[in-house]
Amino acid sequence: MAWNPNMKVLVVDDMSTMRRIMRNILKQLGVGNVVEAENGSDALSKLKADKFDFVVSDWNMPVMAGIELLRKIRADEQLKHIPVLMVTAEAQKENLVEAIQAGVSNYVVKPFTAETIKQKLDKIFA
Amino acid sequence: MPDEPMNDEMKEIVHDFLVESQEVLEGLDQRFVAFEEHPDDVDLLNEIFRAAHSLKGAAGFLGFNRLVEVAHKAESILNKMRQHEIAVERSVIDVILEAVDVFKLLLADIKDTGTDSHVDVAVISAKLAAVLQPSNEAATASEPSSLPNRKKKAAKGKGRGAASAASGEGKGEAEAPKKLGAILVQDGAVTPEQLTEALAKQDETVPLGQILVQDKVVTEDTLDKALKKQGPKPSGSEEEQTIRVETRRLDQVINLVGELVLSRNRIMKLGGGLEQTHEADPLVREFSETLGRLDLVTTDLQSAVMKTRMLPIRKVLAKFPRMVRDLANKVGKKVNLQLVGEETELDKSVIEEIGDPLIHLIRNAVDHGLETPVERRAAGKPETGTVRLEALQEGDRIIIRISDDGRGIALEKVKAKALARGLVTAQELSTWGRGDIINLIFQPGFSTADQVTDVSGRGVGMDVVRTNISRINGTLEVDTEEGRGSTVTIKLPLTIAIIQALMVEVERQVFAIPLTSVVEAVKLGKGDLKTINGREVLTLRDRVLPLLRLSDAFEIPMKDAGGDRGFAVVVALGDRRLGIVVDRLQAQEEVVIKSLGEFLGEIPGVAGATITGEGKVVLILDMAELVQTVQPPGVGMGAI
Repeated sequence: MAWNPNMKVLVVDDMSTMRRIMRNILKQLGVGNVVEAENGSDALSKLKADKFDFVVSDWNMPVMAGIELLRKIRADEQLKHIPVLMVTAEAQKENLVEAIQAGVSNYVVKPFTAETIKQKLDKIFA
Repeated sequence: MPDEPMNDEMKEIVHDFLVESQEVLEGLDQRFVAFEEHPDDVDLLNEIFRAAHSLKGAAGFLGFNRLVEVAHKAESILNKMRQHEIAVERSVIDVILEAVDVFKLLLADIKDTGTDSHVDVAVISAKLAAVLQPSNEAATASEPSSLPNRKKKAAKGKGRGAASAASGEGKGEAEAPKKLGAILVQDGAVTPEQLTEALAKQDETVPLGQILVQDKVVTEDTLDKALKKQGPKPSGSEEEQTIRVETRRLDQVINLVGELVLSRNRIMKLGGGLEQTHEADPLVREFSETLGRLDLVTTDLQSAVMKTRMLPIRKVLAKFPRMVRDLANKVGKKVNLQLVGEETELDKSVIEEIGDPLIHLIRNAVDHGLETPVERRAAGKPETGTVRLEALQEGDRIIIRISDDGRGIALEKVKAKALARGLVTAQELSTWGRGDIINLIFQPGFSTADQVTDVSGRGVGMDVVRTNISRINGTLEVDTEEGRGSTVTIKLPLTIAIIQALMVEVERQVFAIPLTSVVEAVKLGKGDLKTINGREVLTLRDRVLPLLRLSDAFEIPMKDAGGDRGFAVVVALGDRRLGIVVDRLQAQEEVVIKSLGEFLGEIPGVAGATITGEGKVVLILDMAELVQTVQPPGVGMGAI
């Protein structure tokens, strides 16, 4: 695998249960350095205050949605290199196109297993 | 993950899920009622959609498939509402609210059994599907497992505006905050060597700037300027603002602080004694000063710890809009529910106890207090009645006021009812004031869902409500104006861990009576006590009070039996009054309630124990229970 288990990951979701599930899945893959944010705007300020290697973000969130967070990350010179994995409940065509155009690194549909995330990581960090 | 065995981590995740979903659902009920009134509110609809969406997402991971099924259909309907494909109608909202109720059942099932497979979702599923039917063909897209190559159609340029707006901002913020030392060196205010020296002295408690000023390396002016350059810390560097703590741990802290307070009280007493006997000793004086500080800090610590258990009353009120909506529909009334002061905070244990009484009072107000639209029009009132619940803090008490602009209580009818039931005599009634008559509705005799409720409103289970309120040391008052409405005022203590108590003595044993239930204390004289029907009573200002001797209740051997001596402490619970006969009144004291522990368990008539400043263990009496031992429920006072 090309990805480093010591990488620092930001998990963005408005539901704490989901953040915990994601944290748990990452732990199963040996990734333990995880910080949580509860919406796009929270994520953005955490990204600016610290160095992250990878962002996993939910789509539908209050205050700032995942797609907007993605656009802000890609528009920021300091952050635009960070891979972003988008999580959504349904693969809706418009969503996918929007995410791809905004520069998403990969896309995953809920619910997923640790194995799915591993495959995504393998692809993103190939 | 769903096929893994339930390990501890999974159990905790499921627990988190239940807690969070519960919060989400409570919010949903409230939003729906608001949404029905403002069907054009897009934000509200989006929030509702997101709630169903999040619930479904998390449930999918945990393998709660029925929950996913119902949530998915509800979400699809909401999505079509967002896209104006389904109209916002009461019938549709009714079905979604029904789905919300099924969510609650499913969550309860998960809580009890660990799965959601015991709740039948076929009916609700069919109902939701029926709403979706008209435009059902385009159900949901297939679920690709990786990025599909479907870039054919360009998106409608939606995102462009947002993206360009985003690129403009964030440049200034991106820089990490500069360290104070670096700024000072850059400005030439300090040399790198001076900085290294100062940094060596710095520990976590003393800031760098202070050291530099103390060592006269820089002036305060220079420091201020440098600090301004450093600017405010970016919000991102702040740690999380909240942490979740198990209540069990908080309770432990509170318990320990309680012990600390008791020890403080004891030391204060001892210190007071020392001061009297060794007034001139400088060591004693210093000791007293230190004690004063300990006293202050302990009091502050106690109130700070108590605050950690405080929850906003919003938690309880959240379900009311939905409840009132359903009830109003059922009884054919129009109700405008106003909730004020939802931020008001109460102790967790009070929050847990206050829910049922409030539900009861709100239901009463809607069901019995308010008139039907026809009746209201006839009375010259607007068709929609108002029920208002207001919570506020007043000093060290919380006031909850529930008022309606309905028909009020017909006092004449209450009187007639009381006479017919033999609860009072006509002679007694003639001397009674308004308040006494209103209090009749708290008589257990009035609680049987009898005609009173039909003719005049109120009365269902009011005695139960009042008992529940007094269990958390609160009081309840009712005021009413016929034709104009009624107001119920509940006063609650901020905390139930500390109470004001009257310390009394019986045969040298000390008991604490919660002050909230004490009306007055009277000295007993010869001939004050009488026996009626084999029961000892006290005649006080023409009212006959039953008596309770603590020596009888707790089987304390008496040196000389009873007699007309000592004091009677008159206590009131609801409208039941009784006199408690004691030998001596000691003092009013603030006591910390400690449970008796598992070994002794629940002793009837005892609410707990406390330790006095003298170090004695004192039992705190449970008035609600003691009153019941004296007066079997159903026998009104006037009947004696």
